[in-house]
Amino acid sequence: MFFQYLVFFGLSFVALSSALVVVFSKNPVTSVIFLIIKLFALAGVYAQLNADFLAAIQIIVYAGAIMVLFMFVIMLLNLTREVRSASAPIEWFVGLVTFLSFLIYSALLFFGHASEKVPEAVLEVSSDNTKEVATQLFTVYIWPFELASLLILLAIVASVVIAKKHPDDITQAAVGGSK
Amino acid sequence: MIPISYYYVLATLIFCFGSLGVLFRKNVILTLMSIELMLNAVNIVFIAGSRHHGNLDGQVMAIFVMTVAACEAAVGLAMVIAIFRRYGTTKTDFLRMLRG
Repeated sequence: MFFQYLVFFGLSFVALSSALVVVFSKNPVTSVIFLIIKLFALAGVYAQLNADFLAAIQIIVYAGAIMVLFMFVIMLLNLTREVRSASAPIEWFVGLVTFLSFLIYSALLFFGHASEKVPEAVLEVSSDNTKEVATQLFTVYIWPFELASLLILLAIVASVVIAKKHPDDITQAAVGGSK
Repeated sequence: MIPISYYYVLATLIFCFGSLGVLFRKNVILTLMSIELMLNAVNIVFIAGSRHHGNLDGQVMAIFVMTVAACEAAVGLAMVIAIFRRYGTTKTDFLRMLRG
């Protein structure tokens, strides 16, 4: 019992602090590294919630593929040096109001649920989470699954078309080699 | 067993850090990464709700959210590359053609 709380708070602390570093770090490469750390911490949280398959997918797909893509683009565009420009006061105001409203919402959620008796978890720990998720995915959710495949196909075609060379480009030499 | 409200609070805080990043950061790539943060927060809620309600629908939804996040990252980064080649920068300060 105590050990569960210890693991949860440790993982939450790692996730929240690295999320802060992601948002406020000057160097995009540092942001990517800490986003990977955050994804690993969240994979631990998923595993604690009996979602083993999603924890594995989180590490393989997110930390393995998407973050490599981010890192690749940052290295490709050579964005490591970023000149910080000052934000306008109105931007700070809007950001602060958003942050505070989410914070208040979070506090309301916490104290609202802490007072009432929340029924305990009823999802039994299964030995084969992957099999059950797959059964669900290929029976009840078969049409959304097919649509997701279509979406991925669209994304492949779209990214190839969007990232193609264009006559208006000014920095042909910087990306994709010289002509 | 940890109460579900703890997971909600964790997800809300991560979502709110992500929205801070979208609002504050001037780099398009950092904006995309903040959107990833927010999508992750949504995944936490789905999976915590899945355990709370005792069925696997939330986990399946989380898989779809991950699919959409991957597509969004691929298309968004392709757009970043196109923007950089066209304008030579990824700072949102300079990309103000739609601002009117």
